[in-house]
Amino acid sequence: MSTARRMRLWGLVVERASGGPVTVEHACTVAIAATGADGAAVAVVLGASSRETLYAGDGIAADVEDLTTTLGEGPGADALGGGPALAPDLATAQSLARWPAFAPAAVELGVRAIFALPLQVGAIRLGVLDLYRVDPGELDHEQLIDALLLADTVCALLLDAYGREAPPAYGREPESAGLQHPEVHQATGMVSVQLGLTVAMALVRLRAYAYAHDRRLHDVARDVVARRLRFDPDRDCGAHA
Amino acid sequence: MAEFALADVLVEMADTLVDEFDVIDFLHVLTERCVQLLEVSAAGIVLTDQRETLQLVAASSERTRLLELFQVQTNQGPCVECFNTGRPISVADLRSACRWPQFTAASAEAGFRSVHALPMRLRTEVIGALNLFGVQAGALGEEKLRAAKSLADVATIGLLQQRAIRHRDTLTEQLQTALNSRVLIEQAKGVLAERLRIDPDQAFNLLRAGARSHNRRLSELAQAIVNGTEQLPEKVRRAG
Repeated sequence: MSTARRMRLWGLVVERASGGPVTVEHACTVAIAATGADGAAVAVVLGASSRETLYAGDGIAADVEDLTTTLGEGPGADALGGGPALAPDLATAQSLARWPAFAPAAVELGVRAIFALPLQVGAIRLGVLDLYRVDPGELDHEQLIDALLLADTVCALLLDAYGREAPPAYGREPESAGLQHPEVHQATGMVSVQLGLTVAMALVRLRAYAYAHDRRLHDVARDVVARRLRFDPDRDCGAHA
Repeated sequence: MAEFALADVLVEMADTLVDEFDVIDFLHVLTERCVQLLEVSAAGIVLTDQRETLQLVAASSERTRLLELFQVQTNQGPCVECFNTGRPISVADLRSACRWPQFTAASAEAGFRSVHALPMRLRTEVIGALNLFGVQAGALGEEKLRAAKSLADVATIGLLQQRAIRHRDTLTEQLQTALNSRVLIEQAKGVLAERLRIDPDQAFNLLRAGARSHNRRLSELAQAIVNGTEQLPEKVRRAG
């Protein structure tokens, strides 16, 4: 369900866009403010040959991403293949043990805490949202909720960026990529077989179809699962009932 | 309910908590044991997604109608109340429960008369709930309630076990990983349903049988099927 908090955060992201299209940068700016971070970056893997920095809010964020890519370790690398990797203090022995090359190098850059949130939907791995702080300290309960919600937003923005059909109105929140409706994920799997595409591209197409027909994603998904709607690779419009 | 039966289940679950176990499979087996042991009709496990919503991660049956009912439960109903208060909530007869009209109607439609929710606790934090549905009206009874509490605790242990030893402060990592595994399994169900022309719930059973017969983790097999790098073996497909 779209909670009041999700709506409030989306409102802040739209505000940042000042009437223009909402981008990952706007979501990151809100994430920085909401979580008390000093910087943010988004690295992507989908459509890129390897890990690529899509957005870095400042020089330090860009350096942290370079470090992660070069060393192949760090919270931002761990979060790519699993759950969030939260490192409230990179200078501890524990962090050093987990990331022997990355942790000291990041501290050297002046970064003491990194919170890496995966941008993923089941098997679909889009990338990572990295938030960093120059001072050590955990994300508190409220900050964690906001960080996870904004990671959902970044995920949705990335998925929609791959589609031909943009969300109909910039003010409308993009469809959340979460678990709430199992049919969406079942339909994603089904459409990937129908179109012979990866699940990532199947989800992009499902979302684009929902936007183009001004329908909710889970309603479209329900039709696919009930086999009332099929996606056809030979048809340009993509699907037929 | 015999005391030894609960002991058997606890031993079985403890045996599963080895290095390479799959958390969704573990929770799924636990919900099946709940049905057998507590003589309820259906059981499900919901977890907080840490975004102020509860999500279903395992259910004793993957019937779509039941999954939908659990989903309703994540918005309003005894489960949400149990999660919010951290206390067990028991509704012996749903016909006389008017606090959750949407939930009560959905339960009646699915043929259920009673519902019980047990909190999954980690120290002071509530991370989810074990949800039990009965087709008969009636309370759970002292002995079964105690057993249900133990099983809710086992679910919590299973969830945290996965990588808890490796890092401290991993609750978020564990929860989010479990939730994402569930999404992955839904995607794999869809792939199989389309390829083999079967229903998603049949696809789940096939997936599970495939994981069992190959001694694979459920989520690993799901990933391989979604990636198209692996098909289910013919004998498993025929069995479905």
